[in-house]
Amino acid sequence: MRKREQSGSGPLSGEGHDDADPPATMAIGPRVLRTGLHSAVGLCLVVALVHVAVVFLAVAPSNSFSRRYGQQINAWVYPLFEQNWRLFAPNPDSFNRQILARTARTAPDGSMRVSPWLDLTAVDRAAVKHHVFPSHTAQNLLRRAWSSYVDTHGADDTARSERAAMMQTYLSNVAVDRVTGHDKGRRFDFIQLRVVTRPVAAPGARVVNRPPTPVENRLLPWWKVTVHGK
Amino acid sequence: MGNEQARELPATTVAQGGSVGGARPPGTVRRPLRARADAFWNVLTSRPVSLYATSVLRIGYGSLYLVFLLREFPHRHEIWGPGSPWTPTLAAQLFDQTGWYSVLILSDSRAYFELCYALAVMTSALFMLGWRTRAMSVLFAVVVTSFHARAIFMTDGGDNLILLMALYLVLTACGRRWSLDARRERIKTTRAGGVPVRARSLVARELRAARRTVVTVVHNCGVFVIAAQVCFLYGSAGLYKVQGSFWGDGTALHYVLNLELFQPWPTLSHAMDQYPIVIAAVGYLTVLTQVAFPFVLFGRLKYPVLVMLLSMHAGIAVLLGLPLFSGAMLIADAVFLPDRFYAFLPHLLRRGTRRGGVRTPRQGTGLGCVPVQGGHPDGPEEYRPVSRPASGRGGQAPSGPTGTR
Repeated sequence: MRKREQSGSGPLSGEGHDDADPPATMAIGPRVLRTGLHSAVGLCLVVALVHVAVVFLAVAPSNSFSRRYGQQINAWVYPLFEQNWRLFAPNPDSFNRQILARTARTAPDGSMRVSPWLDLTAVDRAAVKHHVFPSHTAQNLLRRAWSSYVDTHGADDTARSERAAMMQTYLSNVAVDRVTGHDKGRRFDFIQLRVVTRPVAAPGARVVNRPPTPVENRLLPWWKVTVHGK
Repeated sequence: MGNEQARELPATTVAQGGSVGGARPPGTVRRPLRARADAFWNVLTSRPVSLYATSVLRIGYGSLYLVFLLREFPHRHEIWGPGSPWTPTLAAQLFDQTGWYSVLILSDSRAYFELCYALAVMTSALFMLGWRTRAMSVLFAVVVTSFHARAIFMTDGGDNLILLMALYLVLTACGRRWSLDARRERIKTTRAGGVPVRARSLVARELRAARRTVVTVVHNCGVFVIAAQVCFLYGSAGLYKVQGSFWGDGTALHYVLNLELFQPWPTLSHAMDQYPIVIAAVGYLTVLTQVAFPFVLFGRLKYPVLVMLLSMHAGIAVLLGLPLFSGAMLIADAVFLPDRFYAFLPHLLRRGTRRGGVRTPRQGTGLGCVPVQGGHPDGPEEYRPVSRPASGRGGQAPSGPTGTR
């Protein structure tokens, strides 16, 4: 029907009716064009609808459909159409993490010189404080490096997968850069991280001035420092 | 986007359907289904919807990314550069595993990175201004994808949304309003003096018409995808929160306000934290608004909900120090405002300035000037009836009230 309506309404044939015969040379062109046009429109619609459906399945909780076609859904959504809308959901974090680093180097006499702890998170907090537009390097860099490390390592500090090893390298690089940035002259061969997790007191709890007791105090192994980048 | 256009649809359909019906033998009875399919076809192919809204998205995301790039200027090496802790080697290794790609890892040289950074800044600025918009939108998508992928472990939900929108905006004709392209077209039209008829062969005209239809359809599908994406975003964010105990007992915002990395103004955060009733009310309101969002879009209720989202994101931007995230979300909301709202904005502003005693010319050719309503600045031949794809279906350019209001 659509096609019939269009046929003959070659633009200049005015309010062309079906009986207006297009010139013979034009007969094939417009028809092919129309078919192509209809297919293109159909394709656009189908792709848009499929995309929306797949995105829906990607954000929906796991269900029988997404379990069966999980692989296809992931192949479509990742990496370009990743859906990550879980900021503060289902629950916001109820703790603050403090990440500290110290370094060691071998002195000429063979003994180990260990530096005092440097509070890396405090540096980030200071960078965020009283800033209208805090940098990603303060809010996301160390925070996400650590959460990715935990995601791939769990409670164990041995890297059991390629990704885990990558995250360990990354975390180590971040710490090294931070320490070097803080104290430019410092040379060191090893670095160690300590992560202190402190809970946010439940509302209504008496506010005390000293920080709450840590729920976790995780000491990571010494890592040999490898020079990267620069 | 959305319902405003949908609502005005019947008028358009009637007008066009009428003329088509007139050309048909009187015996033909249209089945309602067919009529409905035709009406749908009309919406899809006759006119790009939400041209102002997509332009607002272009300006919004272009400028937001520009601000982001410039804000991170002192940290650019740490985030995207070859000296980043997420080394080019690590990035390449991850790309091998995930299929990501970034133009930034093509070379480890610092000069190459600086060039990429400069090009990214330029692309964002030109995209924002709407200069050769379609090409710029592709470049902008490449830039955002590359920079996002290079620093994937430094991103958050805001970056995620900017990436999605940069990709979707490639589909849309987001340079038709409030852009350098629109300005150029307007000047061209003025110069041509309204007689832009150029002799073309029939096939060439048909091809142009077909191309225009495809562009319109791709645009409309793009707007649909953007709208659906924003609905899924809010719907899922809200429904995830519903499952959380802190959101359930109304204490979630207490914990949010006590996250040290999201405390640019600790005094303010602690002061807010002193009012548990307010905290609970705002928390409930947040969840309700987000869950309700996809369902209120088809009625007047969307305006108060949009205002609530606006204030919610303003709060997030200031209190949690997440202006990029909030900005990305706010710009996305703009897609749901109808074109007549945007068309009315300059009038409002003009009235405001006139009342303030500042005289402004009624018609300008500047960037901020809105094209004459009822006409289309999209090029002279664009809406000439002669080159419409089909007699019964083309965009009725001077369709007056239905076309633009």
